[in-house]
Amino acid sequence: MAADVRVGRLDRWTVGRGVLLGALALWGCHRRDRIVVGSKNFTESDLLGEIVAQQIQRRTSVPVERRFHLGGTFVCHQAITAGQIDLYVEYTGTAYTALLKLPPGPGPDSVYRAVAAQYRQRFGLVWGKPLGFDNTFAITARRADAARHGLQRISDLARVAPRWRAGFGYEFLERADGFRGLADVYGLRFAAPPTAMDLGLTYRALAEGKVDVIAGNSTDGQIAALDLVVLEDDRHYFPPYQAATVTRGQTLDAHPEVGRALAELDGKISNAEMRRLNALADVEHKDIAAIAREWLQVNAP
Amino acid sequence: MSVLAFYARNAQEVLGLIWEHMYLVLISTGTAILIGVPLGIALTRRPAWRGSVLGLANVFQTVPSLALFGFLIPLPFLGGIGARTAIVALVLYALLPIVRNTYTGIAGVDPAVREAGRGMGMTDGQLLRLVELPLSLGVILAGVRVATVVGVGTATIAAAIGAGGLGVYIFRGVATVDNTLILAGALPAALMAIAADGLLGLAERRLAWRRT
Repeated sequence: MAADVRVGRLDRWTVGRGVLLGALALWGCHRRDRIVVGSKNFTESDLLGEIVAQQIQRRTSVPVERRFHLGGTFVCHQAITAGQIDLYVEYTGTAYTALLKLPPGPGPDSVYRAVAAQYRQRFGLVWGKPLGFDNTFAITARRADAARHGLQRISDLARVAPRWRAGFGYEFLERADGFRGLADVYGLRFAAPPTAMDLGLTYRALAEGKVDVIAGNSTDGQIAALDLVVLEDDRHYFPPYQAATVTRGQTLDAHPEVGRALAELDGKISNAEMRRLNALADVEHKDIAAIAREWLQVNAP
Repeated sequence: MSVLAFYARNAQEVLGLIWEHMYLVLISTGTAILIGVPLGIALTRRPAWRGSVLGLANVFQTVPSLALFGFLIPLPFLGGIGARTAIVALVLYALLPIVRNTYTGIAGVDPAVREAGRGMGMTDGQLLRLVELPLSLGVILAGVRVATVVGVGTATIAAAIGAGGLGVYIFRGVATVDNTLILAGALPAALMAIAADGLLGLAERRLAWRRT
């Protein structure tokens, strides 16, 4: 910095203060002129975050920053209400039961409408239209066991439950739409109380025969890869979990073009398509950015 | 405070989880001492192994706990789900400070003192027992102290593999957007870490006292 060398001691203070103020001002602008995309700490959320981020980059001139793999529903919600991130992909059922703590019951459309209205009113957050797929809890067992005991629906599980071990994630054990209600509705009584463990480890524990039944997500790639079967929710216990973007209202007001770019993704991802994308990442270990790029080229040209 | 109200409602469960947590820390740190101290002593006798052993202990520190659990689940004796797997992981995490401080403590004994011992006709075992270990006890204990305090914090991850402990409240709280639950798990764990640090610090000072 040749210019700085010539300024005197007192002047250096002034210069320093100016530089600091300038930096602060720049930092302020920097934050405002950027869209920060977040995601939760699992593959599907990372994938959807990347698709959304790339879509904004392709369609607008707003710089995009990625804050992926944040620690779950809770952290994402805190981050977006505090303005640390501008948008992420959330599931209607999760927002409805886990965040808004509303009692489960109604169908997909009323859940979406209730969530969208409450989010706008309470947090100033805007729900986009559903992306198309519904990622519900998947009560999952090994295919060989299911074939041996003739299990197809969750009601069939009640027969073998007294001899089976279950391993569930904490979210599933605690949520209003989780294990306790499921056990009541289907009359499930397992040999021992279900083992509480990390969601990602439950697939491993099931595949290794350490537990016999788990609650995964219906769009997970491991279900096909590990030769597992999902039992049908024949009594329609689980609420709908439609995925959609949640964006800060202020961000959409400042950059309406972002809302238009996101709207192109409405209804574009079916259940089968989401499973395929998850499998590409989790089973074939393809790069998430590459998966998102290819998908966007085909589906939002 | 809502955390206190939570404890009042769930006293039995809280005490159970605190006990599980202490059990995990005591067993894993104890095992780590039984493995780590002899290993550290062995390194002072075989300095050539130092790089690889400490390097390995370093590597364990950097493996994320969930990844470590993923590797451990399929293993026949050490693995599976539950307390045993969690203890194996906690032992691996506790090894580094204990091995390193044991090695550093003994290697740091004044060579003149060691020579004097040899001059008095001490065998290697006597030298270790009567000279090197007493002189390095403070440093070794400092390593145990670090391992224990860090262990109290790390033991919360045991809840990820069905081993219980105070991490159960933290995991539940994170999963259900409930700050009270997170605090209900984090507060006693923090107090436990402070208590363990204080107790072991006291032991360290008492030992230093006796020597002077």
